[in-house]
Amino acid sequence: MRANDAINGLILILLSVAMIALTTTFPAFVGQDYGPALFPRVLGAILIICGGLLIWRGVALRRAGGALVTMAPWTREPWRVGSFFLMLALLLAYIVFSETVGFIPMAFLTLGLLFLWFGVRPLTALVTTVVATLAIYWFFASLLRVPLPRGLLDSVL
Amino acid sequence: MDALLTAFGLVFHFKVIWVIAASAAFGMFVGAMPGLTATMATALLVPVTFFMDPVPALGAIVTATAMAIFAGDIPAALLRIPGTPASAAYTDESYAMAKKGMIDLSLGTNLIFSFMGGLVGVAILILCAPALAEVAINFSSFEYFWLALLGLTCAVFMTSEDPLKGITSLIFGLLINCIGIDPTAGYPRFTFGSVELLQGVSFIPAMIGMFALSELLRGAVSVDQQGAVLVQKIGNIFHGVGGVFRKYWLNFLRGSALGVAIGALPGAGADIAAWISFAVSKRFSKTPEKFGTGHIEGIVDATSANNAALGGAWIPALVFGIPGDSITAIVIGVLYMKGMNPGPTVFLQNPQFIYAVFIIFVLANIFMVPLGWIAIKSAKQILRVPRNLLLPIILMFCMVGAYAMTNSIYGIIVMLTLGVVGWLMEENGFPIAPAILGLVLGEMLEQNFMTSMIKADGSPLGFFERPIAAVLGVITLLIWAMMIWRAITGRRATIAPSEADPAGA
Repeated sequence: MRANDAINGLILILLSVAMIALTTTFPAFVGQDYGPALFPRVLGAILIICGGLLIWRGVALRRAGGALVTMAPWTREPWRVGSFFLMLALLLAYIVFSETVGFIPMAFLTLGLLFLWFGVRPLTALVTTVVATLAIYWFFASLLRVPLPRGLLDSVL
Repeated sequence: MDALLTAFGLVFHFKVIWVIAASAAFGMFVGAMPGLTATMATALLVPVTFFMDPVPALGAIVTATAMAIFAGDIPAALLRIPGTPASAAYTDESYAMAKKGMIDLSLGTNLIFSFMGGLVGVAILILCAPALAEVAINFSSFEYFWLALLGLTCAVFMTSEDPLKGITSLIFGLLINCIGIDPTAGYPRFTFGSVELLQGVSFIPAMIGMFALSELLRGAVSVDQQGAVLVQKIGNIFHGVGGVFRKYWLNFLRGSALGVAIGALPGAGADIAAWISFAVSKRFSKTPEKFGTGHIEGIVDATSANNAALGGAWIPALVFGIPGDSITAIVIGVLYMKGMNPGPTVFLQNPQFIYAVFIIFVLANIFMVPLGWIAIKSAKQILRVPRNLLLPIILMFCMVGAYAMTNSIYGIIVMLTLGVVGWLMEENGFPIAPAILGLVLGEMLEQNFMTSMIKADGSPLGFFERPIAAVLGVITLLIWAMMIWRAITGRRATIAPSEADPAGA
């Protein structure tokens, strides 16, 4: 997804303006001219200039007939779009549910679904999922003592 | 001398050697797999090294990256796909050699000259770093401010074909770094009441997101496209390499020297070193017309350069805390986590760690020859590992790695957010490396900027009063002036070719 630079520039300017607005709530310190707001404001000002230049360039490109948003070829193939969003969705699911459900069931789900979606044969997928989940759990939780969430399996482990 | 002996004791320890061997194998594999980069190898290693002592932790990173940069040459010759962006410069040349039936000589040259180039890089690192540290010990906030700014300037100037987007990316990285408690007054900025944001955006999960997750997202949409290995028997790879050295020893020296210099410049790493030295080799060759037809000359230059760049990148990282490439950007994060704040004082307080890094660098390059030989011999098996099995497993590693850095879901949230941001940036032509440098150097830049502003009482002249600060300041301003001049006159302010993979070394 390649957007026209004018759109990128506009987003950057909005971001900088919002940020500079936030810095006005920062406290000033008596007898100290240079406080926590100075550095972000300098950066914000530079980013606004960059955004302006990007808009200028984008508008020139648009006049020359450039598209507003160009989509990569893979976006026209539903399976590939699915691969992209399945990865993100599984990450989000892990963020939301891993504390309650636990690492092992979530990792099993993530790996299994991705393998099947990517066209791995079901038996290979099952074996690899089980081995990889347990290997990663053993390596990080037992060997490196990372407190991976136990969730539902708390009583078993 | 005592420190050197201590360093040998620290390195030649069963556990350390074991870690080095394991990370060498890991680096070989990651480097040889197209789509997995040396930077990604480092980002994935950090959560594991987090639980180790400083010496094995640094040893793992040094070894894995050295192996990965070499191993990237293998699929370049066999598949015409570079294993890491650092091999992209001579992929066509290697493949052309392979098609002419000279695959043994091509791979042998890659292995031997990678090893020797790596050694030149280490040698210059060992000679320069302590000497520079002695100079740097007298630096004040003014010098560090200019150094940080010069480093960031180089990052924009070297890495991006589009300086405007490079600067934008850099400022974006600096802004992300503003999140959290500010370094001078201790006021929480842009935290929106979140306790976890008080410590700032966690650096390693951010790196895993921007370098690994964004790469996985790109890989996911082309998971079924696996290159076909050129069917050819690999024989004695060392046969004829001696002749190449006798004929092209000057190319080797020139490539290595260029590699170290480019590696030491902030923001430019092994990939750009390879592109530039390949171009230089062609420019000064007696037979430039042979380039592109499977000619060994350019490969000698470039394959020496990309491994030499690795050592070069450590010079500014260890001495000033300014990373020379995206790999040392991660290393600096690791050094801070281990309580070894990079800078000249580490040479005084913990010289044994510095020497240990040097020793491991030499060891890693020596290990490269036998391990590289094994990797070349088993290349067909390595390249047959299906991507549809590999990508989900790497995704799991990213998740667990990001989690391990904060011991909470927060790490994964940072990784996911910056992974998507990084993917969008690359899609829209914003280079990632300047943003990462901004994220690493932001605190140093702000702290020294604020201290200097307070010391100089807001007067810009104060920034030029000390001689070294003045020189650094003038150089920085000159580079900016040149960039603006080039932008106005409409020429591209770049030396990196546009074909370079944007993912960084």
